[in-house]
Amino acid sequence: MSAPSDPRVPVWHFDGQSGARRAPLLVLRDGAFFLVDEAGEEGPFDPRDLIALDRHDDAPRYGMKKRAGWQIILRAPAPDPIAEALPRTARYGGIIDRIGLWPAVIGFAAVSALVVAGVVMSPPLIARMIPRSSEAAMGRAMLGDLGGRACKGAEGQRVLDQLASRLGARPDTRVVVVDVPIPNAVTLPGGNIVVFNGLIRQAQSPDEIAGVLAHELGHVENRDVLESLVRQFGLSFVLGGLDGQVGGYTNALLSASYSRKAEARADDHAIAALHRAGITPAGIAGFFGRVGAQDYRVEGVGVVFGYFASHPLSADRQRKFTDAVGKRAYQPALNAADWARLRAICSAGQAPALGF
Amino acid sequence: MTDQDRAGRAFAFEGNWREFAPIAFTNLLLTLVTLGVYIFWARTRERRYLWSRTRFIDERLEWGGTGFELFLGYVMALLFLIAPIVLVQFGAQALAIRNHVGLAGLLIFGIYILVFYLIGVAIFRALRYRLSRTFWRGIRGGSDDPGLAYGLSHLWKTAVGSLALGLLIPWSMVSLWNERWNAMSFGPFRFRSGATSGPLMGRFLLYYLVPVVAAVGMFVVVGSFASAPRTVSPGQGPGDFQAAVALTILAFYLIFFVLLGFVALFYYSAYFREVVGHLELGDLEFEFDATTADWFKLILGNFALVIVTLGIGALFLGYRNWSFFVRHLNAYGALDLDSFTQSTTRAPGQGEGLLDAFDVGAF
Repeated sequence: MSAPSDPRVPVWHFDGQSGARRAPLLVLRDGAFFLVDEAGEEGPFDPRDLIALDRHDDAPRYGMKKRAGWQIILRAPAPDPIAEALPRTARYGGIIDRIGLWPAVIGFAAVSALVVAGVVMSPPLIARMIPRSSEAAMGRAMLGDLGGRACKGAEGQRVLDQLASRLGARPDTRVVVVDVPIPNAVTLPGGNIVVFNGLIRQAQSPDEIAGVLAHELGHVENRDVLESLVRQFGLSFVLGGLDGQVGGYTNALLSASYSRKAEARADDHAIAALHRAGITPAGIAGFFGRVGAQDYRVEGVGVVFGYFASHPLSADRQRKFTDAVGKRAYQPALNAADWARLRAICSAGQAPALGF
Repeated sequence: MTDQDRAGRAFAFEGNWREFAPIAFTNLLLTLVTLGVYIFWARTRERRYLWSRTRFIDERLEWGGTGFELFLGYVMALLFLIAPIVLVQFGAQALAIRNHVGLAGLLIFGIYILVFYLIGVAIFRALRYRLSRTFWRGIRGGSDDPGLAYGLSHLWKTAVGSLALGLLIPWSMVSLWNERWNAMSFGPFRFRSGATSGPLMGRFLLYYLVPVVAAVGMFVVVGSFASAPRTVSPGQGPGDFQAAVALTILAFYLIFFVLLGFVALFYYSAYFREVVGHLELGDLEFEFDATTADWFKLILGNFALVIVTLGIGALFLGYRNWSFFVRHLNAYGALDLDSFTQSTTRAPGQGEGLLDAFDVGAF
């Protein structure tokens, strides 16, 4: 039994078994707590098993680990030995209470900065770690048979393949034309380039097609599409914790800034490739100038192919290609006969199937 | 309401915003520097405070949940539900590109149904979770029902509710409320909920009446413009007449939405009084006495608070809504404390993950 000299304090007590409120004494004896009333003594309770709960009418309240509902509420100020044995109030959650609010804020901010930096910097590295073969499989999965809309003109295809390899395409690059009347081209993972027939129909010279193709080959070379997929995934994962809109806007802003950089890199690649092939960059500059007023990005395509690389158009990009035109003799990208073959790629031997 | 009345009520909220403010602001700070991860611990701190300042008869409530279990629930929902759903959507896109539009449509439709079903399950489980973490006199609530059947009810009752121009919406709301509360318990007692939608129909029909009245009113006013004798005086040309008509239409447009907002409050205040008023636990009967005017003051106050403080006031919305809820909640009858023993329901291991993932409320 507890000696009268043991430190004690009156408490309210719920045992978590019934709703009855009892009024025992909390007694500290030999480093353990006991609850003592006329009915007898309960305990020992290890002070380390107690949890500080929110105060009850300004009185300290404690629960117990693994015994939901068990609680004691101090009815008087605890004598020092008991106060020292009782746990300190938890405010922010485990680790923050241990190290203090401001150190925790600084620590969390530092870790968050590292995480954001990691998500921003790592996609190129991760993209390079994914083998080209897996990327190709992914591209095939996305591409499928293009809903039967791929153009099957064999001669046109041969001309296109020759042009691609003249522009330094990797051997596993695949360029297909689809019969969609949109002046655009997109790159999918695995070196798959899709050229919409609208681009070929609206082009005024084969040099324009060569320029666009060279740009897309830049995306293939830099693995931009895979990188942007990895980045999208990482960003949406990290920013998912923030409230809807904030995360979405941050995500969109970060993605847009990266897609602009990727576009600039692909343009640099295109200029170099065109020069090596002896084709003038004036073609693609003229093309940009002509469609410059209208938005190069087509809404419907953006919705369906949400994961495709985008080509925001700006006067700067047109100027970049114009400035790249050197004082040298260029050869046409295609001769007249081949140009005619390419333009006929979608009308050869198939009925165009359009529409979803 | 006088202090005397309030002292006699079964429920009372005894917190104040000066105590709550340090919690709200440190929550915001920690949530920002952890890229949002702290939100689960923030929510727990907020609830611990609100619950600990809520008195029922002679004892304060206690929130026994942890931030970690909320976090765990969210991660699990993300891994096992959201990720597969996103993958299937990806698959549907691939199908659409391959011209299997029918199959892709079917797949997307299937996802919608699944998500709708899961939202029902989530609502049920969130209520169960909250009751299982709410302690009073050391006793908690809960349910032994995992809520899978409730998800089905949620699916078909909501679908039926939208039939017949939405006339059955009150029925589906009330019957779903009854269904989920009848599955819940607190301590040894089961909740009983016997609300009906009949008393709500009058107010619900206003949703249909208001647009008609507004349209008729607009035509009358515009018509009176048109038929009024037009005196052409300097400074009043046909342009002014057109502007007057345009302004009238705009005014009616605004009035229309404000009126619909009022109708919604008018309906919801009756809905809450009906469903809470028919809730019983043991020998206790509950009552909710907020009138349309009370709801209006709450909503107006919330708007004003957020706008005047440029958004910072949003931190206090949870506090305001909870104290509103508690202040208007009442209970009658006696609770036999000798038979008030601990709940035997299994306490769920993790929190409101599904609900968080779908971003819907529990009540």
